[in-house]
Amino acid sequence: MYYIGIDIGSTCAKLAVLDGDRELILKFVQPTGWSSVDTAQAIRDRLCENGINLENSPCVATGYGRVSVPYADKTVTEITCHAKGAVWIYGIRDGVIIDIGGQDTKVIRVENGMVKDFVMNDKCSAGTGRFLEVMASTMGLRPDEICELARSGNGITISSMCTVFAESEVISLIGRGEPRENIAYAVVDSIGTKVVSQGSRLHVGNEKVYLTGGLCDCGYMQEVLSEKLNCPVETDSNGRYAGAIGAALCACRLRK
Amino acid sequence: MDNETKINYYITFEDYTQGLQLQKLLRGDNIFSRIAPAPRSIQKELGCGMSLLIREEDIDAARDCIEKNHAEYHSIVPLPCQINPKRNKFC
Amino acid sequence: MADYVEMWKNLGMDLDKHDNLCAVLPEAFGDVYLSQENRPEGMGFWDFVVSEIHGIRPSELIEAQKNGQKVFGTFCVYVPDEVVIAADGIVTGLCGGSQFWVPDGEAVLPKSTCPLIKASVGARLGKTCPFFRIADMYVGETTCDGKKKAWEILGQDVPMHIMDMPQMKRPKDVEKWTEEIKEFAGVVEKFTGNTITPDKLQKAICIINEKRKALARVYEARKADKLPISGKDALLVMQIAFFDDPVRCAQMANKLADELEQRIKDGVSVFPEGTKRILVTGTPMAIPNWKLHHIIETSGGAVVCEETCTGTRYFENTVDETKDNLDDQYRAIAERYMGINCACFTPNHGRVDDILRLAKEYKVDGVIDVNLKFCCLYDTEGYTVEKALKEAGIPVLGIETDYTDADAEQLRTRIEAFIEMLD
Repeated sequence: MYYIGIDIGSTCAKLAVLDGDRELILKFVQPTGWSSVDTAQAIRDRLCENGINLENSPCVATGYGRVSVPYADKTVTEITCHAKGAVWIYGIRDGVIIDIGGQDTKVIRVENGMVKDFVMNDKCSAGTGRFLEVMASTMGLRPDEICELARSGNGITISSMCTVFAESEVISLIGRGEPRENIAYAVVDSIGTKVVSQGSRLHVGNEKVYLTGGLCDCGYMQEVLSEKLNCPVETDSNGRYAGAIGAALCACRLRK
Repeated sequence: MDNETKINYYITFEDYTQGLQLQKLLRGDNIFSRIAPAPRSIQKELGCGMSLLIREEDIDAARDCIEKNHAEYHSIVPLPCQINPKRNKFC
Repeated sequence: MADYVEMWKNLGMDLDKHDNLCAVLPEAFGDVYLSQENRPEGMGFWDFVVSEIHGIRPSELIEAQKNGQKVFGTFCVYVPDEVVIAADGIVTGLCGGSQFWVPDGEAVLPKSTCPLIKASVGARLGKTCPFFRIADMYVGETTCDGKKKAWEILGQDVPMHIMDMPQMKRPKDVEKWTEEIKEFAGVVEKFTGNTITPDKLQKAICIINEKRKALARVYEARKADKLPISGKDALLVMQIAFFDDPVRCAQMANKLADELEQRIKDGVSVFPEGTKRILVTGTPMAIPNWKLHHIIETSGGAVVCEETCTGTRYFENTVDETKDNLDDQYRAIAERYMGINCACFTPNHGRVDDILRLAKEYKVDGVIDVNLKFCCLYDTEGYTVEKALKEAGIPVLGIETDYTDADAEQLRTRIEAFIEMLD
């Protein structure tokens, strides 16, 4: 029997499959695209190709598209799943988890392996993956490229927290001839500032911080957060799959 | 049964006195009914008024009860279930 | 057929616009209320009132006006109903709880005003609510900056009396509120042409106390382990209480309480076992604002109590009935109202004490502290409330929202996650 976790985010859909020993045996990511329903169907097809039978394997869906997975046995929120996934990935019991997602950013405090408290950004997309995507595309870059470029920049900041206003600020910086790496620096710095201020209620000083979500692969983001929080921030190559792994762990508690 | 395929019956009235009177009669016969604001699609020229919501399995008994008591009403309208708690549309 | 259209026309309402509101109500009410199973039979009365929401009670009020009675529209639980009743007047609540009215309010108010004020002003100026047309006089109060300035705008369209609320609770503030109540009584006497006597005031005090006790009985039933009534249904009872005749309200609430007490004896519950018990604290939910309760109760939670103006603040404590002269009676009324702990007071330790006590009495698993967007008072006090709850080991989730549907999915995620956290 396998345990399936599906995390349908606003940008990407992630899948994780655990075996009976809770070992990760399959993972993949694909763009969510226009329809969560189509994405869920595509995931189902890929599961079949890999010989995983939904008939006898419990499946939990999470993420904002969790209700669009008709074959899921249960839905669990991304907050619970990211926490469980981070506990599994990092082998921890306590700590603060930061997930910079496509449309929302979550800061979760975990105690004894369980969610103790969390904050989530409001409707506004400042400090989220979406903010990074919009700014990167304004500069003709990919999100990972803007992150790496930022490393060599310095000196300026973006004052607008609103994505729409910040975009026009970036455009005027480009118009003024500001070096691209400095603009990239300002964009990443703005995300770091927003995330840290959002989490300030939960991160009171000495807890360890763990990053999950798509930006785990951006090394510079980790450095920025670590500097702003004044404590080490850990990442992991499976960080992007934290939600899906957490969902699969929830599936382990189901019988089929 | 799936909510979308379920049929609900709405009994509409000329005025609420008729509606309350019929509800009393139905209750006397142990027929389950609920007061509901009449859905817009069947309200037509009637004011912003009440209707009685009857489950599919109870409608025949309700009709018998109406006939037996010569109860007054405007019409009985079958509608696919209008109720969706996950719609997230508030007013 | 009850021809409410004619009545609305005579009230000078914008019929076409109003019709848009009537059109969405049945669907929303169906989704929120009729989707519930095994509701108390007594709720039929409130379902009926909602079905006829802009018809049945407005036509009663118009009949009363024909008989010479005056209708006073109020916006706050501090405005003493007793004084109006004693002068044979009628009180009706006027708070707007629908996004439908907000754009008309935004036409004259800053967008950064709380939705309750925007909806209330919009309901009047947009001519889309019969209660706002019927009220002969509006009674405002100085509970917040948004309201103070909104009264100046409403006052250009309708007669208004403003009561100056104290902002602290020192003895001299109670004195001041007593004087405000006396002055209000004078205004009411002049406007109605009726004199308030100790006997009439005594009778009015008893009427309103009976209503409070009846509503308190409904709440008492929600302390039971097996919940005989949903939070949504209890909220509806409270919301309609602001509009209904107080004697009938008490009668219907008592009848409902009888049924709930029987349900408790029979072990009848409207929620599956293991449903998390939630206390909602914060800003009021004027009819038809059912959003938060609905999301909570379709996400694995049950609202067992509201520490809001459409909750315990409305009925808690009664006025001393033993006084026999107007001076002492007004003083007793002032003391009862000054016992309500609204965030407009500073300091406001009493509210935190209330919340901690209610959390215990209703055996809650968690608290959701909600504030309407741009309500600076409750938003700021949220910090103190959350801190106190955390210190007491009670999980709390802070929510800021308005009347729109736009954040419903986001709220659902947060609330579901909060409820998962309580497991």
